[in-house]
Amino acid sequence: MITLGTQGKNTFLADVNKKSGANVLECYQCGKCVGTCPVSQYMDFPPREIMQMIKLGLRNESYMANSHWFCLTCSACSGRCPREIDIPAVMEAVRHLAIEENYINDSTKVKEIRKFHEIFLAMIKRYGRNYELRMMAEFNIRTRNLFKDMHLAPKALLKGKIPLGVKPLKSAKAIKRMYELAEKLEKNK
Amino acid sequence: MKKLTYFPGCSAHGTSEEFDSTLKLVLKTLDVELEDIPDWNCCGATSAHVMTENLAYALPMRNLVLAEKLENTTMGIACASCYQRMKVTKVHMDENPELAQRINTTVVEEGTYKGTVDVKSMLQYFYEDIGVETIRGKVTKSLAGLKVACYYGCLLTRPKNITKFDSPEYPVSMDQICEALGATATEFDYKTECCGASFSISNTEVVLNLSGQILAMAKESGAHAIVVACPLCQSNLDMRQPDIEKQQGVKYDIPVFYITQLMALAFGNPVDQLKFPKHIVPVEGALANIGKIDPVPQKVKKPIKAVEAESEVE
Repeated sequence: MITLGTQGKNTFLADVNKKSGANVLECYQCGKCVGTCPVSQYMDFPPREIMQMIKLGLRNESYMANSHWFCLTCSACSGRCPREIDIPAVMEAVRHLAIEENYINDSTKVKEIRKFHEIFLAMIKRYGRNYELRMMAEFNIRTRNLFKDMHLAPKALLKGKIPLGVKPLKSAKAIKRMYELAEKLEKNK
Repeated sequence: MKKLTYFPGCSAHGTSEEFDSTLKLVLKTLDVELEDIPDWNCCGATSAHVMTENLAYALPMRNLVLAEKLENTTMGIACASCYQRMKVTKVHMDENPELAQRINTTVVEEGTYKGTVDVKSMLQYFYEDIGVETIRGKVTKSLAGLKVACYYGCLLTRPKNITKFDSPEYPVSMDQICEALGATATEFDYKTECCGASFSISNTEVVLNLSGQILAMAKESGAHAIVVACPLCQSNLDMRQPDIEKQQGVKYDIPVFYITQLMALAFGNPVDQLKFPKHIVPVEGALANIGKIDPVPQKVKKPIKAVEAESEVE
């Protein structure tokens, strides 16, 4: 059975609107976002359906969908939306809420996407800058897919396309501190 | 001499080193002096904003605060992803001082955010601050004969309320610059389609599909080459091109230039400074269209030959 929010109030809609700064209620389901979205074919629910799910207060279903993980924030949808809704911000809000409330979509693809972002952020915390080669290596190790993209390695490395090292920041400590403070800020909202 | 605060972005020291070095050649001709932001950090794109809100603002804010300490009030950014994160942060902070204050508590040592520095992509800087006519005036070797598809990607012109530059659907700034260099810009419908961006590593299948469509449309438009101003677009369209060809069973053989490589070429810089050997898809075929040009130096001869043989599609 579908419950519309809690106690007759759609708290999910309120949460998403607050976090995204958009008003999801303005969506009149024209579907232009779906036709525009370059990755809608990979989504469990395309953007239009996610918008409707938010309106119906379907918190769990929206969190567990892979849609917000596949959104590339290319902003093609919001550019064409006749209601000018910031759909990527809505997708981002759903994703951030799902992360905060610990809803984990455990499909392989979403796990890999999430792992990539975690590795990237850990890299920046450590060096202050991106270390591409290490990031790719770590991604392969942690997703147990050692040979992924290995065919690209010889040419990329020989041509100097991907450097072997990274020059860490002088103030790498400031970045570590920023991470800790940002995390604290996230919790104290 | 003009001055410009410069944010190179991480990829300038890695996958897009040729963008960075040819940009510097171009700005030398245009008489612009770059001043690097001292000890700049990664802007967090794309992972920071995917995973968390505060860090996504904090990382760019540190760079903005550092830039405000320099004399110049415009920051030029080479990478399109960095540009977008920096611009989004700037716009949101300027609109919402309360949020700015909150995020500023995470940027401790660098100081207070004031919002005094403007953020521009290098394409925007060329178009608005240098001007197409000035660029035309610096051309010593016309690129006449070369047909290019100008590919902007998602981030240089979108979202329009953030970038406030060119058109989010059918931009023309890069086309006009290429025409000023003597090249012909083709009618290309996929100018602002997404290449798959940060899925390059974590979701390669999507990138092969999306970038494949862009390559197909560029070829169909009659272009000899694609021109970009984004490191991620370049690496997806160039480095992944052999894989796309294998998957689709089509041979595109369409090189992907940075706009600055073509500008530097048209401004008369020697070919061996333009880093063409770094391209995965060979550039010689496309460049042959502009007539007599010094042969492209093959610094690393053996590996390049091996690559060409490997990427051939039966």
